[in-house]
Amino acid sequence: MTRWIGQNRGFAAALALFLALYLSYHLIHPRGFSTAVLVQNSNELVAIGFVAMAQTVPVLLGGLDLSVGAIMTLAACVASWLLDGSPVQIALGMIATLAVGAGFGLINGLIVVYGRLQPIIATLATGAIAIGLALLIRPNPGGTVDGDLNWALTNSIYDFAETYGIANGGEAAWLQPFINIPVPLILLFGTACLVWLPFKRTVTGRTIYAVGSAEGAAFASGLPIDRARIAAFTLAGFFAACGGLYLAIQTSTGNADVVQAGAYTLNSIAAVVLGGTALLGGTGGVIASILGAMILRAVSFYFRILDIDPLLQPLIEGIVLLAAVSAVAFRTFRVKNQLELFR
Amino acid sequence: MKLKTLFATLVTATFLSGGVLYAGPNVVSGPGAEPECFAPWDKDTTYMQWSAKEGPYKIAVVNGFVGNTWRIQMVKTAKAFAEDPSITDKISAFKVVSTGTDAPAQLGAIEDFINQGYDAIITIAVAPTGFDRVIRLADKNDVVLVPFDNVLDTDAVMQVNEDQLAMGKRWGEFILGELDAMGVDGGKLLEVRGLAGNSVDRDRSQAINDAIAADDGDWEVVTVVGNWDDGTTQKVVADAIAVHGQFDAVIGQGGSNGIVQALKDAGHPWVPVAGESENGFRKAIAEYSDEGLKGISIGQSPGLVAVAMKAAVSALEGNVMPQLISVPLPVATYKDLEDGKNYWSELPDNFFTVNEFPPCNVNISGPDIMAESEADTN
Repeated sequence: MTRWIGQNRGFAAALALFLALYLSYHLIHPRGFSTAVLVQNSNELVAIGFVAMAQTVPVLLGGLDLSVGAIMTLAACVASWLLDGSPVQIALGMIATLAVGAGFGLINGLIVVYGRLQPIIATLATGAIAIGLALLIRPNPGGTVDGDLNWALTNSIYDFAETYGIANGGEAAWLQPFINIPVPLILLFGTACLVWLPFKRTVTGRTIYAVGSAEGAAFASGLPIDRARIAAFTLAGFFAACGGLYLAIQTSTGNADVVQAGAYTLNSIAAVVLGGTALLGGTGGVIASILGAMILRAVSFYFRILDIDPLLQPLIEGIVLLAAVSAVAFRTFRVKNQLELFR
Repeated sequence: MKLKTLFATLVTATFLSGGVLYAGPNVVSGPGAEPECFAPWDKDTTYMQWSAKEGPYKIAVVNGFVGNTWRIQMVKTAKAFAEDPSITDKISAFKVVSTGTDAPAQLGAIEDFINQGYDAIITIAVAPTGFDRVIRLADKNDVVLVPFDNVLDTDAVMQVNEDQLAMGKRWGEFILGELDAMGVDGGKLLEVRGLAGNSVDRDRSQAINDAIAADDGDWEVVTVVGNWDDGTTQKVVADAIAVHGQFDAVIGQGGSNGIVQALKDAGHPWVPVAGESENGFRKAIAEYSDEGLKGISIGQSPGLVAVAMKAAVSALEGNVMPQLISVPLPVATYKDLEDGKNYWSELPDNFFTVNEFPPCNVNISGPDIMAESEADTN
């Protein structure tokens, strides 16, 4: 345990910070520690959580992906056309949405590897293209998403089962230990565990870390650098599309909101840093970034329960985030050699 | 056994909370309360009634984007009105949060206030759709949700707004009328749009373009996006002038100070300009209307927030309310500007001149709220 904390100090610090912030929020909240509050908080987390996951993978390589918010928006607009009709149609629509995001990420990767452009510049351009496409397919906000799907996926397991009549409409005994878990949390952490954790253990996955910590050494060791780069951006596109898919389901619409796309991209970088992933690459992880997104959201929860002047809120949020980032990243400021971080 | 009891309790609790009858407002027949303040949108507007609740009430304002003068003036008006003697006794708690242009965060904030047991939630929606879930929750918990300014494409909630289509139409028709009077029956018009993706920008732009299309003149419309922000508008208008040389008129939806500044900087001759109700824009119209700046200024008032708060309280008291409340357009053209009355030549440019609604007892004027120091309003 002590060893684990020693090796994951950034993650441990972020976890402690989040628990402190979030538990105090529940203590002050008039209906703290209830399923309703947990469900609400989870819903708010999913889109930014997925986009933070998306951002993490290119950051581990030592690059930034400025198109994640735009890919999320594009995916949401695509989904708003496809998530209606029979269950089979809806399922195909979901697959198509995720494919669009992953495909866009793949293009990012190909441009970075074979176009030899800096990721930050390449994705700035492709992000603008993604927003352009989103505006093209959704010039005005709208679309329809299956109402049951919206209700079932934005609630607790019980409501999910009740909506679809699974497990006796949620009354089955084996389901009872889980009925209060919010579905959005399962989707978020489920995707992280099923996609990221296995991927991380592959050669391609480890190469991403290797490129981020010492590209020269990775090259000299004969690791598949190009494949890792392309995979990283494809995975980023896929995670961003997961965020867009959920956003479309949550809001039952698609909206090519340019400002929102930009805000999500910037917040995703903040979440990555809060989770303890180094912007220079090589250390950190996707689960930690979800934690970063949770801290980011938890800070804003406080404005709803405390009396803070509305015009001062952005200032206070900024100061708290700065303090949080400093707390989490404190160690990286002091190291003389990056290798020390792994000891 | 003990665990089983716990599960049973949890199941019952969840079932009870989930099984509450679908509450929410009843659709009733009009007329509604205080029709001089809460005017119905048109003759087809339905009326709603919530079951009366004991006051005082907990009210929250969930703003989206923050950072332009209009929103700041709106937030200040909301805070000042919450302390107004006419309403302060009816409010036990009042909170304002801004979530930025982030739909999940805004939906989350609304849901959080519903969970906290607030009675009414006033909001400027970041998108015209996507609120199905919070509307459902608000109805379930008998919370009055009042979108205003950027309203929702639904008739399931009570909303407060000025008629954006009428505003766009008025702008378009005024400009074409002025051009007609000058003997111009064709040429280039510059349209300056607002923040993409929300209903106000969409409706205003549509009405402006419909008015132009309905005219028999031969018009080419150049469209730029100024985000209702002075700085952005100034830049895009300057760019448009650099590319196109000269326009016969400019129809803007906001950031009007930027339009005037860009025309001035480029040495563009004064032409008819339609715009919002910023003090600087009205000052410019008053100063240059003789040289050709035949302006029309229609304001979307930040004071709408006060009307929305008042409507929420009235609904909570059990009064019959129109589903869509229309607040009259405050229009001023170059013919009827008067210093100290509908603009203030000695005050700064960037506040919105229209703020008060006497029929609603909302008497917080633009200069009052924006000229005061921060310390006084907090």
